[in-house]
Parts: sequence; structure tokens; C-alpha cells
Amino acid sequence: MMSDQFRKVEPYSPKSSPRGARSPVVSRQDSSGTLKTTISLGKNPSIVHSGPFYLMKEPPGECELTGATNLMAYYGLEHSYSKFNGKKLKESLSSFLPTLPGIMDGPGQEDNSTLGSVIAKRPIGGKELLPLTSAQLAGFRLHPGPLPEQYRYVSATPPKKHKSKHKKHKHKDGAPLGQDTPLQDSSNPDTYEKKHKKQKRHDDDKERKKRKKEKKRKKQKHSPEHGGLTPNQHPMP
Amino acid sequence: MSSPLENLETQLEMFVENVRQIRIIVSDFQPQGQSVLNQKIQSLVTGLQEVDKLKSQVQDIHVPTEVFDYIDQGRNPQLYTKDCIDKALAKNEEVKGKIDSYKRFKSHLLSELSKTFPNEIAKYKAIRGGE
Repeated sequence: MMSDQFRKVEPYSPKSSPRGARSPVVSRQDSSGTLKTTISLGKNPSIVHSGPFYLMKEPPGECELTGATNLMAYYGLEHSYSKFNGKKLKESLSSFLPTLPGIMDGPGQEDNSTLGSVIAKRPIGGKELLPLTSAQLAGFRLHPGPLPEQYRYVSATPPKKHKSKHKKHKHKDGAPLGQDTPLQDSSNPDTYEKKHKKQKRHDDDKERKKRKKEKKRKKQKHSPEHGGLTPNQHPMP
Repeated sequence: MSSPLENLETQLEMFVENVRQIRIIVSDFQPQGQSVLNQKIQSLVTGLQEVDKLKSQVQDIHVPTEVFDYIDQGRNPQLYTKDCIDKALAKNEEVKGKIDSYKRFKSHLLSELSKTFPNEIAKYKAIRGGE
């Protein structure tokens, strides 16, 4: 009784509903797109399907561009595709930058010269670039003469490898190695030093091989298994 | 008319060539080469100034950081482009395959359902507008 005094009469209550016992028609937003039913209560409760099929949704909108389209043709990349896949690309960085001198095919981690490190730890910049004064240039006065050995061949241009058989024949004839390597600049003092170094290496290799052969021969002479001479059979001097 | 990238490339190549020439002078230095060395060092500074001027022209060019991994390994950066194209093509083919499979499945399902539930499928087709 007390509760009745304080009960507010809702405009949509079943007692005062203009639709009678049926539930009020309140537009509700259907976010799932699946509600196609109306539930009515009262004397004759019923579930009315407003749509023909359960869980039938509206189909997604038609899209012009799908994965079924040849996207290479759509974006005009066929030329790029044939350019990169038609010919075999060389693996090395030096093939991409043929005009730049120096050895660049090694990993940058070796001499701490990676681009990643430049991005990770940006160098301090922002200062104005000014030409050096004569006092500052005085710091670049050098002593005459060649560089010490340990600094000489740092980042030198690597010799190009030739796979031709003629090189071997030239070795046998005693022709110098330097003639095979192409020279960027014939007047370059570096190439003379490179020739010299290659010849030295070649000579060293020859000597090593000779020594190895001599050692083998000596061993074979002294071992009885190979039919060589035993100590008793050594010829008298 | 050369592009800003070509200008930058040319400028950088000239700078590297300058450095190479300095290396040659220094490797076997002679006193009469001091003035030439000083000129070359000054041209290093002007080279850097030129590169600095060109940076505004290439501000809109973005480089993916994955390319730097290729360069740091001493590999050709064009291989990155090739790998991207290959991956895009493979993904395109994969998605096309999925779409085609789903289309075939749908048509197969509709044909089988229409044998079992002809009236319902007729209603469905009428609602869908003959998709």
C-alpha cells in the first residue's frame, strides 16, 4: 500500500500502455545486425520474426579493390616486377655502387660503421659548416714519406677475381700477376704497391709449397712402408 | 632537369672521390703536395655544405629502416625491393586463392541447399537480389 503511493506511473508501463500488453515500440540500435525478431508479452506472448532467416545479416558493401585483383597491374608495378625478377640481382653492395671506391661488402659491425648505429645514436649536428682558417689548416701539415705499414691498406679497393684459366699459364711462364688486375688509374701509386704485394704473396706461396714437397719426399724416403730406404740401406757417402 | 636525388647522388660521389684523392696524397706525402692537400680539405667542407643545402629537397623521401639492415650486411638494397615485391605477390596470390575458394564454396553450398530446401533458397535468393 505504502509503495503504491510513491510509485510513479511510467508512461510506458503495461497498465498505461497504448499498445496494451505488447511491449513498447522503442527503436533500439542493433549493433550486431542479427536481431530480426520482435518479442511480445502479455496474454498471447509470441516471437515474431521480422526477417525471414535467423542470423541473416546485411552483406558487406562491395569493394572495388580486393585481394582477387592483380595488384601489380592495378598499381602499375609490372615494369618494376619484371625489372627486379627478370634478371638476377647481384648480392653484393658493391654491385649497387660500382663507382664508389673501397671495400664495402663486409658487414658494417666489423668497423662499427652501420647505418643502424647512426639512426640509433644520432650524431650531434646543427652547427654551421665553415671553411677552415689558416690556423686550423696548420694542423694538417704532414711529414713527407709513406704511411706506416698498418695504415697503408685500410679500405683499399679489393682486387677483382678472374676465373680464367690463362692466369695459371701465366704463372707457369713467370709473368707478373699485376698485369691481370684492371687499373682504375695507371698513375695511381696504390696499384704499384698492390702489384708488389701480390707478387710477394705469390712468391711466398711458391716457396711454402716447395718446402712442403721436400718434407714429404724426405718422409717417404725414410719410411719403410712406402718402399723407401731403411736406415741400414742408406747409400754410403 | 635532374631530380633532387640525382643531384644528391652526384654530390656524394664527388665528396667520396675527394676523400679518395686525399687518401692517395696522404699515403705517400710530399711537401709540395701540402697546398693541394689544404685545397682538398677545404673542398671537403664545401662538399658537406652542398650536401647540407640539398637536404631540404629530399625531405619528403622516406626510406624504410629495413633497407639499412641489408646495407649493414653488405647486401644490395635492391634485394630488399625484390623481396618486398615477392612477398606482396605471394600474399596477393594467397588472398586471391582464399577468395576464389570461398566463392566456389558458396556456389556449391547454394546448389546443394537448393536441392534440399528449394523454397527457402528461393526466398533467400529473392532477398539477396540474385547475387
